Amino acid sequence: MILPAADELLAPVMAIDGFRLACLIDGSTGMVLASLENRDGPAPPTAAAGAADIINVLTLLNGRLATGENIEDVMVTFSDSFFMVRPVGLDQEPQILLLVIADRQRTNLAMAHRSIRDCCASFTS
Amino acid sequence: MSQIPRRTRVRRLAESVLPGRAVGGYANLIAARLRKLAAEGSTGMLPISGHGDGAIFFRGGQVVYAESSRTPGPPRREVGLAALGLASTDVTARSNGAAAGAELAGVPPFDRLAGLLALTEPTIDAVTDLVCSESRYAKFRQSDLPPVPLVSPLSMGTVLAEVERRHQVLRQLAPVVTADTPIARHVPRDSPRFQVSAPQWALLVRSGAGTTPRALAMTLSRSVFGTTIEVYRLLALGLLAVPGHPPELAAGGPRPAEVMSFMRAVSDAGGSDA
Repeated sequence: MILPAADELLAPVMAIDGFRLACLIDGSTGMVLASLENRDGPAPPTAAAGAADIINVLTLLNGRLATGENIEDVMVTFSDSFFMVRPVGLDQEPQILLLVIADRQRTNLAMAHRSIRDCCASFTS
Repeated sequence: MSQIPRRTRVRRLAESVLPGRAVGGYANLIAARLRKLAAEGSTGMLPISGHGDGAIFFRGGQVVYAESSRTPGPPRREVGLAALGLASTDVTARSNGAAAGAELAGVPPFDRLAGLLALTEPTIDAVTDLVCSESRYAKFRQSDLPPVPLVSPLSMGTVLAEVERRHQVLRQLAPVVTADTPIARHVPRDSPRFQVSAPQWALLVRSGAGTTPRALAMTLSRSVFGTTIEVYRLLALGLLAVPGHPPELAAGGPRPAEVMSFMRAVSDAGGSDA
């Protein structure tokens, strides 16, 4: 963990039912800034690297499409888990990503989405 | 802040480097030396010379600062803790071991994160540059305090894991672009419109013929590693090109968009989460 002092910022998303892992990632370098995980959570470096790769590809797509839009969030549904990535603070530099992985059987996706959105909004207020 | 120019300071440090202490790769003498200093809870400075000159500073076995002549140091203007009025730039102010995060209470979380990252990234960037196969280290100097003691302590395991991950990413990028590859703006033929971020735009407008990612990073006081990745993204979009190798002619070589994977870098680095 590069910024252990940032761990506390992830505390709100731990309240999501079925929470397994949360990471803050520097989107430009893929570096994990902070992470919190449950015992059954996946390895933070691999999960964070996957999230950074996804955002990297979507950023290239957005660059090509040139619609003037920004990436608000990404939600991927696996057979057993949800994989959610959201830039913290739209249009802000540096680009910091919040990754949350939650158990699909125990998580209400809409509620989790709202919690992540609120958590990111609280970062800039 | 020291009154001695930064380049002069790192050159003086490098002059003490002993010949013959060459290292042969990442899993090498220098990493072993750094781990030993960490295990001993050392406080002081290890001068390193190689492609660039610089030093890594320790306090209680943890890395508190590093600088290299080939990477930008902490921004000259006050940022992070100092910009927020929450930290002194006085050398002695941080000698008590207090963590940077503790001084940022009350600041909006995003600004706190951005401030911590702005202070930490130059150190990680410098270590990434210093710890390479051509590096040599000098005698460890006990109790030398960092000239700009800004970073909250980082464990050696964390630093080395991140440096190894970055080296893996740079190895992936090497066939397309390195920090020292000359680049130039390119006008793609296949699409009239593109969308770039503000940091990418800052790179594009400064990319003249012969500019390198490292030169851009130095100009903009940004991470060399981060700038190299951003340049790679612009190469993938076709907005930059390596002179003599425009994207349209690179059919036989690796296509930029297929080169970089953070996940592959983690698995190649061993996936450590130290």
